[in-house]
Amino acid sequence: MGSLFLQQVLNGLIIGSLYSLVAIGLTMIFGVMKISNFAQGDFCMVGAYVALFITAWFPGWMGWVGSVLAAAAVVGLLGIVTERLIFRPLLTRWTDIDIIMVSIGLFILLENLAQLLFGATPRMIPDPFGSATVRMGPVSTSVLRIFCFAFSILAIAILQIFLNRSKMGVAIRATSQNRFAAQLMGIDINLVYLLTFAIGTALAGIGGVLYGTLFAVYPLMGAMPTLKAFVVTILGGMGSIRGAIFGAFILGVAETLGGNYIAMEYKDAVGFAIIILVLLIRPTGLFGDKEAA
Amino acid sequence: MSDKTKKWLCRIIVLAVLIFLPQVIRDRYFMHIVVISGIFMILCMSWNLLAGYTGLLNLGHAAFYGIGAYTSALLAMKLGISPWFGLFAGGLVAAFFGFLLGIPSLRLSGPYLAITTIGFAEILRLVAVNWVDLTRGSLGLSGVPLLTPIRLGDWSMKFYLEKDYYYVVLAAVLITFFCIRRLTQSQFGVSLQALRDDEPGAQSIGIKTTGYKLAVFTVSAFFAGFAGALFAHFVRLVSPETMALHTTFDILTMTMIGGLGTIAGPILGAVALTLFSEWLRYLEELIKVDIRMVVYGFILILTILFMREGLAGVLRRLMDRLRGGRPVSKGERKP
Amino acid sequence: MTEILRTEKLTKNFGGLCAVKDVSFSINEGNIMGLIGPNGAGKTTLINLISGAFPPSSGKIFFTGKDISRCKAYTANNMGIARTFQIVRIFSQLTARENILAALVDRRRNGPWKLVGKAIFSKSSALIDNKEDVREADRLLDFVGISQYGDEQAGSLPYALSKRLEIARAMATDPRLLLLDEPSSGLNPAELVDQIELIKEINQQGITILIIEHVMKVIMDISHRLIVLHYGEKIAEGDPMKVYTDPQVVEAYLGDDTDAAH
Repeated sequence: MGSLFLQQVLNGLIIGSLYSLVAIGLTMIFGVMKISNFAQGDFCMVGAYVALFITAWFPGWMGWVGSVLAAAAVVGLLGIVTERLIFRPLLTRWTDIDIIMVSIGLFILLENLAQLLFGATPRMIPDPFGSATVRMGPVSTSVLRIFCFAFSILAIAILQIFLNRSKMGVAIRATSQNRFAAQLMGIDINLVYLLTFAIGTALAGIGGVLYGTLFAVYPLMGAMPTLKAFVVTILGGMGSIRGAIFGAFILGVAETLGGNYIAMEYKDAVGFAIIILVLLIRPTGLFGDKEAA
Repeated sequence: MSDKTKKWLCRIIVLAVLIFLPQVIRDRYFMHIVVISGIFMILCMSWNLLAGYTGLLNLGHAAFYGIGAYTSALLAMKLGISPWFGLFAGGLVAAFFGFLLGIPSLRLSGPYLAITTIGFAEILRLVAVNWVDLTRGSLGLSGVPLLTPIRLGDWSMKFYLEKDYYYVVLAAVLITFFCIRRLTQSQFGVSLQALRDDEPGAQSIGIKTTGYKLAVFTVSAFFAGFAGALFAHFVRLVSPETMALHTTFDILTMTMIGGLGTIAGPILGAVALTLFSEWLRYLEELIKVDIRMVVYGFILILTILFMREGLAGVLRRLMDRLRGGRPVSKGERKP
Repeated sequence: MTEILRTEKLTKNFGGLCAVKDVSFSINEGNIMGLIGPNGAGKTTLINLISGAFPPSSGKIFFTGKDISRCKAYTANNMGIARTFQIVRIFSQLTARENILAALVDRRRNGPWKLVGKAIFSKSSALIDNKEDVREADRLLDFVGISQYGDEQAGSLPYALSKRLEIARAMATDPRLLLLDEPSSGLNPAELVDQIELIKEINQQGITILIIEHVMKVIMDISHRLIVLHYGEKIAEGDPMKVYTDPQVVEAYLGDDTDAAH
């Protein structure tokens, strides 16, 4: 029984790494721009479709890796367009509710546009490793999953280096802590916003490719990642990347264990139940800024 | 003719038109659409009370709708209770859940609250799907009884046709409109708006914000549940789909387009979107493509960016100009 | 003269930071008490504690003899304490008059549920357009000098006028003690003169006032007594002239040039 438990934990951690990508993107966008992006999961979906097409032309693991990069680029670009056209004009004008609503509108739009263009039937991104599996002591997993996990960790590591060592990265962090002071210090806020949104959505795009390869690609696939990402960011505290990472792994493991030991059908509800409980005790999440909520 | 007489004359004309509408509209399908849009008007008005007047973003509103529907349907089907009572019961049970959802709202705000409400609705939807003994799961409850006939002496009204339901829904919409309008223009309403605009400021003038949030959630849920019960006995089928996020999105879109935080907004929005979606359906038959939701998403975004005050705002500015710039008092939008 | 407010060793800690430490003082009814001190001295925190925005870490607050240490803001208001905020907190989407109407609601007798019932079932007294309340609101608007803005959306008011609206709104709750947090900030010299007059008039109606101010001219002119906070502790209290020339107070301010200039 012990090895089954370990296996579940491993699965949970791998799923958690996917959640963390999408969640970090979401939490960055919220931390810097105070935007709750309800369309985050749809950026995952776009990324997944990009990968679908690219791997159709370039099969094999090189094509797959390339598709991840391409997805990041395409989705990042889409993010820039969205930020410029839709969110930027709203930032100074209206209330929180408007920003949330407009991102919901975006969510509805993207999801259904995809359905229109690609049809509702789920499609598969072929496993670039041909379903190869690997055994590590008492647990086993597919090579694909190992790669997904590795990719996620790599992306997070690169992001951390960027945020801590590069000029733009520091600017982004400064803005998320104090928008006003950052401006006073000469930081170009518009550029910061642009970059944050681009990175935030690109991360979602990467997460989408991984999601799509592990499960399936279909137009409505964005809803779950969005909700899960929100659960994670709230659990970890909106605006906190460290919290998002922690929260993602906690959710991944809790869900997998909960699904196996309690009830499979209520697996998704596990996440919601957890956050509702956490929020009732700490309204700003585990690592959140106490003044935020 | 004095202003007040003008107002009353307008109201009587509108009422007359509404009462004679079924004589003019003979097409049963269209009447069905009208009834559904009436039910959505009630839903939107109740949601507007929470989001527009109190600033509480409830993305799980459809759950109250579903609870009302299931309650009334089950009472009628399992206990043989009259659907007329079920309408009320649906509202009351939903109100109870509204109170429950109000509790997290005491500590959470903005996106935190929004996600919790989605979670709440999702959990209830999953319960509806999985508690097959009670709800027949995804299949839903079909064959929900019709509203029982009313008899007054020699005259009786049976509810077989859409136009019969039309009168019930018309009455329901008018009652809801009356109640909600009264609430928003009352001391309660101004307290809600104060809470929305600045919570610490509201507390500093003695507003017990916790009590108000619970109260508004309860009242809002009541009307949503009431609408749900009406829906159940009209469409005669209740499934977990009624509680889906996508229903809440419909309500949200209608209310935003109509004008958040206004009295007429929900009504205008429900009418506009229903008519628009019918026109879209016609268009779709021509081009053979289902673009409804894509257009909805577009419209929502465009409305927030360019027409923030919705149709109600546009109408108000129009009327202001017609009156030569005289300021219109805040509550008076429906003539 | 009777004591209307008294604090005993009031302390408030935020994590590791001690914002207010062992502050004890009292105000007599009908007086204007000035609360001064360099930036960050804990003045707004003290006001927040008295008005019930958050509870103290230790210590007590007595209002008209009753212990209000752990009262919430709305309870404190119902008991007779009103306040304004350093950065104005008016209800921006309501009109100026509606801001005051919201404050005129008798909340000692009407909780939310009762108001719901009144709204739906009563003849019309729950509606905010009832003549009595409108008249009172207009009187208050006139008192602070913004009567022509009654129908304007509060959010569109110029800053100085919105501060006056906030004062009118606070007065609408029929307070015995009014806490003013830097009412003069953002005002030009002409507006300052009107401000002083207004505060004196409010006091003449019998309302006790505790006012935080940085502008020395205002504070010295209107205060009956002064209390000085520095790093959260009370360093002086008493007659304005004596406090102003107290060497400890002068030293505290020398570290913060902006105010010594006044």
